[in-house]
Amino acid sequence: MDRRKIVPLLSPAILLIVLLLVPVFISQPYVLHVLIVMGINITLATSLRFIATVGQFSLAHAGMVSIGAYSSALLVIKLGLSFWAALPLAGLTAMSIAFLVGSPFVRLKGIYFTMVTLFLTEFITLLVTEWRNLTGGVQGIISIPRPNAIVLPGLLNLTFASKVDFYYLALAMVGFTLISLYAIESSRIGIAFSSVRQSEALAESIGVNSAGFRILAFSLGCFFAGIAGAFYGHYFSAIAPGSFGFLLSINVFIYMVVGGLRRFAGPIIGAIILTLIPELARAFKEYEPFVFAAILLVVIFFLREGLISLPVLFRKRRAPR
Amino acid sequence: MATLQITGLTKYFGGLAAVHEIDFDVNRGELVGLIGPNGAGKTTMFSLITGSLRPTRGKVVFNGKDITGQKPHLIAKVGVVRTFQATTLFSQYTVLENVIAACHLESKISFWEAALHTPSSRRSEEAILSRASDIVHFVGLEACKDQPAGSLPHGYKRVLGIAVSMAAGPQLLLLDEPLSGMNVEEVDRTVALIKRIWERGTTILLIEHNMRAAMNLCQRIVVLQMGKKIAEGTPEMIKANREVIQAYLGSGKNAP
Repeated sequence: MDRRKIVPLLSPAILLIVLLLVPVFISQPYVLHVLIVMGINITLATSLRFIATVGQFSLAHAGMVSIGAYSSALLVIKLGLSFWAALPLAGLTAMSIAFLVGSPFVRLKGIYFTMVTLFLTEFITLLVTEWRNLTGGVQGIISIPRPNAIVLPGLLNLTFASKVDFYYLALAMVGFTLISLYAIESSRIGIAFSSVRQSEALAESIGVNSAGFRILAFSLGCFFAGIAGAFYGHYFSAIAPGSFGFLLSINVFIYMVVGGLRRFAGPIIGAIILTLIPELARAFKEYEPFVFAAILLVVIFFLREGLISLPVLFRKRRAPR
Repeated sequence: MATLQITGLTKYFGGLAAVHEIDFDVNRGELVGLIGPNGAGKTTMFSLITGSLRPTRGKVVFNGKDITGQKPHLIAKVGVVRTFQATTLFSQYTVLENVIAACHLESKISFWEAALHTPSSRRSEEAILSRASDIVHFVGLEACKDQPAGSLPHGYKRVLGIAVSMAAGPQLLLLDEPLSGMNVEEVDRTVALIKRIWERGTTILLIEHNMRAAMNLCQRIVVLQMGKKIAEGTPEMIKANREVIQAYLGSGKNAP
């Protein structure tokens, strides 16, 4: 058979097998923890890029993570819901809030939209800090229960007592996010998104409801941020307003830009590398924002389309003219 | 029968009347020209008809349906599609992709069908591809169908703009200065293209500064000056109209 036909099918399969086997070979909790955080960051960066496919940059992601984390934790603790019900509900809550807040502001474009999303994050932080009897104020919520165990005798035994089980959950979350967002983007809805980004006037002249698609992109992107937030809460078992501040939004934004906006894989690469760098340089933890800013500057000046464009650049260099 | 009926259409920008009490009709299957000196309000008329501007007063009726002040994408869906004076394109897309994007308007595939890539959505995708290829062939851009739209020469960009509007399936096509910035050869080719689109049954309303082309193409011409309609009639009538000549050349009273 044609090698070119097999290779594209084979490489995701191999990647998946490798990812599934990681806990078999690596059992240090620290490594698994880094991989889990990486999974959260990939989910966030990819869903942020999804919002950007219509040409709008959101800084609401931290707020949406917060909404997801708090609503899932509260649904489980106060209403006794199962984690598996609370997880999608957390996503839907974030999505509904994004829809309700996004609709009146959908006419705002560019920097004005970004400013409103920034205020949204700040407002949510303020809300969860001040609504003490529900959210626990500055202390936040502690001892959030683990996800309910899934036991299929002989097949599966996920109790979430170890990091290994959370690793698989993170893998499933990332897989679900990437497959859903890729399917939408590669369909005609993706074409509508992209047409709104490239020229709103032309898109409308051929019948694309640009305002509608902007709200749709924003709400769907926030859905995945809510899911990531719910995961975060149950993984760390404690949440506080401080974890979801403005800086988180900025960091996710940097993952996306450093990796590259133009391609689907860009934010994935960005999230992987920028999750690893602070871990490799733990001694300089407090300088993390500076390191990120420096990387961002280097990318903006020398690699406009992000790290994802590096292989293409190398190929161009090597190719004879 | 009148496809497009415009009555008393008025638009004020602050205290300034950009368009004042304009009435005219476009009949089905007609090719009508809208001419006038710079600042006469021609493009404003297009924006009012297609909904990107809301009129201060007046009515726009398309096929018996009042579409005044509706959202642009809804007006496009009823079958009124405009092109732009500037080269407004999806510049990151190739020529073919530009047309494909516009073809999607006509398909009636739901969000879930599209996102789940169902067989019916895939089948309609194939239909769209073949329709888009036909249109690219029809306008004569086949040779550069895989080039990014942003890198095309100006004349080709204008033609691609027309192709995109065709793909949206218009009953009434509004062309905003389709010939501007073209060389003589391109003008001839584009005039022929507009004629062919019209012959396929699309009603066309055309803004044009190239007088010779407008006179040659249009069956009827509406002349605007300073936001008011000053004349309407066949090209011969317009050529002989004193007021029109004055509008374009001045009255001669102030000449030295």
